[in-house]
Parts: sequence; C-alpha cells; structure tokens
Amino acid sequence: MSRERFMQNVRRALGRSGAVPEAPPPPHIDEPIVRLVHTEVGLSELFVRMARQNQMVVEQVSVEELAKRLIASLRAHECRRNALSGGGLVEKLQLVSALRADGFHAKSWDEMTLDELYDVDAGVTDVRFAVAETGSLVIDGSRAHGRGLSLVPPAHFAVVESKNLVPDLVDLFDQLSRDAQPANSVIITGPSKTADIEMNLVTGVHGPGVVHVFMVK
Amino acid sequence: MSDLTHRPLDENTQDFLEQAHASKFDFHKLSVKAAGDEKLKRSIELAVMRQDEGRTSRLRELPDPDALRTLAGAIKQHALDHLDFYLEQLEANVKRNGGHVHYASTAVDARRIIADIARRANCTRCIKSKSMASEEVELAPALERAGIDVVETDLGEFIVQISKDRPSHLVAPIVHKDKASIAKLFSEYFAAPYDDDPRALTMQARRHLREKFRRADLGITGGNFLVAETGQVCIVENEGNARQSLTTPRVLVSLVGIEKLVPRLADLSVMLKLLARSATGQHLTVYTSLFGRPRSRDDDDKRDERDGPDEFHLVLLDNGRSEILGGEYRETLRCIRCGACLNTCPVYRKIGGHAYGSVYPGPIGALITPLMQGLERFKDLPQASSLCGACYDACPVKINIPQHLINLRRDIVSKRLESRRERIAYRLWAWVVASPVRYRLMCAAQRLVLRRRARDGWVSKMPAPGAGWTDVRDMPAPAPKSFHQLWRRRPR
Repeated sequence: MSRERFMQNVRRALGRSGAVPEAPPPPHIDEPIVRLVHTEVGLSELFVRMARQNQMVVEQVSVEELAKRLIASLRAHECRRNALSGGGLVEKLQLVSALRADGFHAKSWDEMTLDELYDVDAGVTDVRFAVAETGSLVIDGSRAHGRGLSLVPPAHFAVVESKNLVPDLVDLFDQLSRDAQPANSVIITGPSKTADIEMNLVTGVHGPGVVHVFMVK
Repeated sequence: MSDLTHRPLDENTQDFLEQAHASKFDFHKLSVKAAGDEKLKRSIELAVMRQDEGRTSRLRELPDPDALRTLAGAIKQHALDHLDFYLEQLEANVKRNGGHVHYASTAVDARRIIADIARRANCTRCIKSKSMASEEVELAPALERAGIDVVETDLGEFIVQISKDRPSHLVAPIVHKDKASIAKLFSEYFAAPYDDDPRALTMQARRHLREKFRRADLGITGGNFLVAETGQVCIVENEGNARQSLTTPRVLVSLVGIEKLVPRLADLSVMLKLLARSATGQHLTVYTSLFGRPRSRDDDDKRDERDGPDEFHLVLLDNGRSEILGGEYRETLRCIRCGACLNTCPVYRKIGGHAYGSVYPGPIGALITPLMQGLERFKDLPQASSLCGACYDACPVKINIPQHLINLRRDIVSKRLESRRERIAYRLWAWVVASPVRYRLMCAAQRLVLRRRARDGWVSKMPAPGAGWTDVRDMPAPAPKSFHQLWRRRPR
C-alpha cells in the first residue's frame, strides 16, 4: 500500500494518472565533451603517470620478475601475513606458493574468512580493469576476489596487465554495461585518505594507506 | 506489528526534540553570531577556499566544462521528468537482483522501515557511512532509541557524533572545527593524552572504528546515484568506510532520495567527471563503489562471493521531494550534493553552515530547506544571498539558484509571509516613489538630515531604522545637490 501511495505522489507531480510503459530516450552522451583520452597509444604510460599522481606507488615489471619484485616490496613494507586473490597472474604464477617458499605467511582468499583478513598485513590482487585517464584500478567481487582484500589490510598490492587497460571512464562504463553486473564493483583511485581535520591530508584512514601497483610489461 | 521506534522516548530526549522543532528559526541571530566568530571564519576560509580553487583548476582539464555541465543537468532533468518510469525500472532491477525495495514517503516512514529491518534480522551493531538523507530523517538517533548501537564511520561524521554536534558542510562536515577542539574531544572520549597531530588523531579514530567494522552486523549507507537500467547504487568516498559497510555486515541498507536516479550506467561517466572535481578538486574520489544486491550465492558460478551482505534493502525516500517535483522548482532536485555552491558563496564563507538551521546549508540549502520543510519557518533563508550568481556558475548540473531564490522571495510576498513592518515599509516606499513630487521631497529631506550628521564626508550614526546600516559600516554623505537639480541647471 505504501508503495502505491508513494508512486501515486510521484505520478501526480508529473501530471500523470497511471503507470507509463516507457520514457523517451535520455539525452545523447556527446563523446567529444565527455572523453578525455582519445587514443589507445601510450595508455600504460598515462596510467602510470596518473596512478602516481594519485599517490599510488607504481613499479613497471616483466612477467618473469614479478614474483621477485613483489617479494622485495612485501619485505620492505614488513608484510609477513598476506592474503591473495585468485585469477590473473596472481593465480597463473602461483604467487601463494612463491611467497610461502620465501618464508612468508600467505593464504589464498578462498581458504580464509573475512575476519582473518583483519589480522593480515597485505592484500595482493589482480584487477579487472585499469583506467588510464584517472589512474584507477577496477575490481569486482567474486569467489576469487573478496571485497575486503583491497580494503581491510593496511597495504594493497595490485597486479595490472596491459590487457586490463581502458583509456577513459567512458570506456569503463561501456564495458561494465555490456556484461552482467557483479554484486560489487569498486574503482580505486589511490590510498584511503581524509582531509577532515583542518584540510590536513592523512592516508590510510579506513582502507589501505599503501597502494602498490605492479604494471606488467 | 510491534514497533520499537514507537516506544515512548526518554523524557529528556522528548523535551529536546519538541523544543528544537517548536523553536523559531532565527537566521538573523544565528548569522550575526557566526559572522562575529573569527575562529570559525578562519577554519571555513582555510577549507572552503582551497576546495573552491581546486574546483576551478580541475574543471579546466575537461574538454568543454560548460557543455559537460549542460549535459549533466540535462540527464538529471530527464530522469526527473520521467521519474515514475525510472523508479519502476529501478525497482524491477533491484528485485530481479535479489534485493528488497522499500518506500518511505516521510522521515517517520524511513526511520520505522529501517528499524523494522534491523529488528527482523536481529541486528544490534550498526556501522553507518556518511549520508545526507540519513541526517535529514535523523536516522541515527531513532535507531539508537530502538536499541541499536549506531556508529558514524566517516571521520568527520564520527567527530560530529561524539561531540553531539551537527555537520556544517555537505562534503566536509566538520569544516567549522579546529584541530585543537578535536584533540581535546578525543583525549576526553578515548581517555588518552592530548595530541593535536592530525595523523595521530586520525589513527586513534581508525583503531576505534576498525573494531566496530569487524563486529558490525548492519551497514547503512546513502547513495550518490541510482542507476535505473542496472538497479545499482553508486557511492563515492575517500576514506573506505562506506566500502566497509558493503563488506562486513550481513545486512545492508541504503537510504537514498528519489532524485538520485540516472537512467544509464553510461551516465556515470558524465556525473563522476564533474562530481569530485566540483566537490574537492579531485579528478575522481578514492573509492567509487557500485552495488545493489546481496552477495553472489551461485555455487556453480565463479561469481559466488565469500564476503558481502546476505540481505540488501534499498529504502527510497520522498520526504517532500515529490511535492517539489510537481512545482516550478523541479530543477532544484538535480542537485548532486557536491558543495561547490557553498564553497564559492560569499555568504556561506562568512557565516558557515550552522546558521542555515538545517542539514542542507549554503545557497542550495537556502533553496531546498524552505521547499522541503516549509517556507513559513524558513522564510529568512531565500534572503541569505547577495544574488551574485557565483553558485549558478559553480553548479555542475546548472541549477539556476539565484533565479529560484528570487522566485521564493516572490512566493513569500504573495503568501503574505513577510513581517508586517516590512509590508508597511514597502507600501510606503511604493507610495512615495510613485509620484515625482513625493520622491523629490523625500530625497531633499534625506539629504538635509544626512549632511547635517556627516563628519568629514561620512555619516557614522543614523537614527533607526537607518541605524541598522551605520551600526556596522559608515555611509558616505550625500552630494550637496541632487542629480535632478544639476540636470535642471546644466549649461545648454
């Protein structure tokens, strides 16, 4: 009943008496005024530049050196306990075993609980997309990707491949509209931050204070 | 149906609420007090001017910022003009995705619906992220009365909550507080030594709130956009606390005003490119989340999730919006709550947000507060503007705020809501200036009086009603001869 009254109020406000079967098409999105990145060339350079502008740390690595460089970074940040996503190079290169072999505590997301994540030092994930325009990472929730992996641990290490790159937010939403939508997608554009106290920028307020990206060549 | 929110309130709370609602809103008194507060002005200028500069420089990155603002305004206007259709489309999609949709016509409905959801699911530990809609319906106190522990998790809102204060800005809720007062508050609240380092203060809040995140069973969020074609909610934030609400608790509730609809996912590229730039001078906020259903459960599907809520409830809020939709002020519902009009407003910069007497301050608040809560009580707000037009220039969805403020002033007069004194004064004025003889007589009298009071070319003290002017500034003495006199004696 409350629904009917609610909808009636909206319809009455619009001068209509019953439900309408359709609406005219919404305004055309004129790409030249929305799009900032017009080329597919140099996307990884643009992504790296923008991600750094967003205070992410970016390392450019080859597939062969990825595991070694990840281990060096985890060691530098004193991340002993690590949680890893499935999927992408994280799975293909069996980074869980690589970390364990090097003496780290490493667990794959599908063998742990969200609560355990609160005691982990770093989350290591691949990404679904990386947006060159804004230097952002896009991650969907799935069996292999806990929502908490890129949120709860104080550091987030992300593996980006050039096939993940899209030029512009326009392209990102175009891609996202094509597939069935996951229950959760997040666009990450830097470490968690706040400027609530007298405009002083503080990172790592509720999410990771460190976002470290490996851009795989 | 037993309803926890209908329990009688604690006597003190009841008194407070009654007084708060019955007391006369006195904009003049509040704004004069705020304008004299030097500390407040410094805090506001620091934050607000920086955000305003950030906005103007960031907008220049866009190929054609003006055209993009026009497009964003057109998209929101289209959604409003066909809101009935898009609401039904949204509802169908949320339900198809396994979520529940609730309809709150009033603030009372919203509080009751959400308290019911919590009670049915046996939730007692709630983490709430920043939401203007929840401030508007005073949700947190209502849930607390229903026995739920509600924690505001946005750093600014957390500080507002523990100091029993009110937010004073749409985006930066504690822009009116300095770090010394926050440090003092924290040292009392956490029983810890005083430390006014912003990083130390932030980390203290982080440790406290992290335990709350970990144990929460109910997450409450607002929403920046509702996407009709996919049935999704979009939230932007910098801290990650809204993401926590979507991750840990088993029940997730999003309370969102109906004006937040956009038709397509693609519309978000237009909106997001403007929102963060206009709000804080970022090209995008740190986190942009898209959600709107329980966690994926299909065991055969790779999308089967191991964290996220079991239940998702979307609570759609009207609370006066459909009434605005039906009148000449429909365009004001385009607002995406970026706060750009506050940051750029010469009045807001001097008096801050609290003087506006509502959760929506600044130029947009001066407009929608009277529309949502009654012109009679808030009839002073449409006057809280110099009509300079800076807000219209800043608005990313091109709401013509100054024009609407003028229209509201017209409504005040046509509904005879202005004071008796004002009405009589204007009638007298009209009578005088309608006749050349009376007009010249008045000017001559004025010149005579003012020139007699002038010292060194300035009048610094006038009798009432002119005292209102000279109490705060001097007035130049009038010229010895009027323009009319000079014109008559001009050499031909």
